[in-house]
Amino acid sequence: MELIGHGGKPLVERVITDKAEAKKKIAGLQTMPASRQMATECISISYGFFSPLEGFMKRADVDAVCKKMELADGTLWSIPIVYDISDQEIADYGVKEGTSILLTYDNNPLAIFEVEEIFSYPKEEIAFDVYGTKEEKHPGVARTYAYKDKFLGGKITLVNEPVIRDPFKPYFLTPRQHRLKFKDLNWQRIVAHQTRNVPHTGHEWLMKHAYIAAHGELPVESMEELGKAISGILVNCIVGEKRAGDYIDEAIVLTQDGLRTHGYFRPDIHLTTMTFWDMRYAGPKEAVHHSIIRTNLGLTHHMFGRDHAGVGTYYDSYEAHRLLMRIPREKLGITPIFVLEWLYCPHCGEITGIGLCGHWKEHQKFSGTKIRSILIDEVKPTRLIFRPEVFDIVMDSAKKYGFGSPFVGAEYLAKAKPAFSIEPL
Amino acid sequence: MAETFPINIWINEERFKDLQAAGLATLLKEELAGMKVMAVPCIAEERDKVLKLFPMAKFDAATTKSIELLPKFVKDKIYELVVKRKKMEVMTEFCSLFEKAGDAFWNQEIA
Repeated sequence: MELIGHGGKPLVERVITDKAEAKKKIAGLQTMPASRQMATECISISYGFFSPLEGFMKRADVDAVCKKMELADGTLWSIPIVYDISDQEIADYGVKEGTSILLTYDNNPLAIFEVEEIFSYPKEEIAFDVYGTKEEKHPGVARTYAYKDKFLGGKITLVNEPVIRDPFKPYFLTPRQHRLKFKDLNWQRIVAHQTRNVPHTGHEWLMKHAYIAAHGELPVESMEELGKAISGILVNCIVGEKRAGDYIDEAIVLTQDGLRTHGYFRPDIHLTTMTFWDMRYAGPKEAVHHSIIRTNLGLTHHMFGRDHAGVGTYYDSYEAHRLLMRIPREKLGITPIFVLEWLYCPHCGEITGIGLCGHWKEHQKFSGTKIRSILIDEVKPTRLIFRPEVFDIVMDSAKKYGFGSPFVGAEYLAKAKPAFSIEPL
Repeated sequence: MAETFPINIWINEERFKDLQAAGLATLLKEELAGMKVMAVPCIAEERDKVLKLFPMAKFDAATTKSIELLPKFVKDKIYELVVKRKKMEVMTEFCSLFEKAGDAFWNQEIA
């Protein structure tokens, strides 16, 4: 069955699942090791998370993305997906335009790269056009400057599927698998909650707001019965490169799912999955990229809160909303749902919206910094703020996966196992 | 009065009872739906000293203007000193005690 992805184009699926066929295809190819970022992007391209991309971008695409926020063929696109390489590597591995090489990861075959173009592009231009700044302290800019001096463009075909380790295994679904799951659930409308966080109740209410908005005018009668929901929330956790002080990925995925398993969301309206992506912190441009990924997963709506994918003070709180509003709906493909902050009002004695409650002077805003501080102190917060079961999962994850902490520290960066491995073919 | 930058120590029920018994519960603030927090103040010099002695800590200049990511064992010791001295202004003494004793400080009882 042909599935349609971003830009109204067929969902890309470039995976050889038959091992014998894969072995035949890679026989005699020059091998070249891929970095962790390039390996994860090969996986994402091949399964169609980045549809309609069939491989790493060529110069014309990079140029169009930087200058016009679209691919060379006019499809909306906001962040260059590039394969960087040094002149030395080009020489060492004999990389030439018009040839194929076998990318390896963990010394095992990963993907065939049909190298169509070797090119260079000014990194400062990419930085400024995508991130709106050339300052190296912006983590996306730093990532761009760290790229080697040349780029390879061309198609990618995965020859060896990743093995996802526990506890991530049940949460990794390809775009096709996402769509099958939605079909099983009978969801007509699905709203994405993008996250890199352990959820507090402010996040819960963001999801509830987005769910109600996405469900809209659809009937509700059948939903009185468990299992009859016709719309749902997909919590799609971003799993990728971590920075010191981030929540560990294991805690994020398990706590988000914990909201369902502990009944804070019905099992027929809530699903947690993950997508491999190294955050670029590109704010509004990254919001567009997230929309593209979620369109490819088969979602109909996407929630955007304040400071979506931002960092520091580089972007206004609602800059992502403004950019998304300017993009014609037929180009975006997914319907954005803009949400305001949720907070605790002691006067109301409940979680409420900043756009709803008039007790301005009494509002107690959620702060990621404060919640982290509470978790470091291992003090169980009030259930109005943080669900006790979520707290228990955080602490359990810290012990099992975080070397004692739910936050990324030096030990986690050095010793934690990657979420996937590539095994011998 | 000089600006201060807090180290937030969150108080569980057990500690809250101890503080109440010692007449120190008035040192606490309420935040986030009634959670109790002991905001131990640091003047700028103390803040800089803490960040130097504990490089894993970060100063949240953007939002809360507080010192964050201090490990629990460090915050536990600050709490111990506040209770012992029955006052919040302890950070100069805390840094000095740690500098004198080094890592042995964590296992010593505060006199």
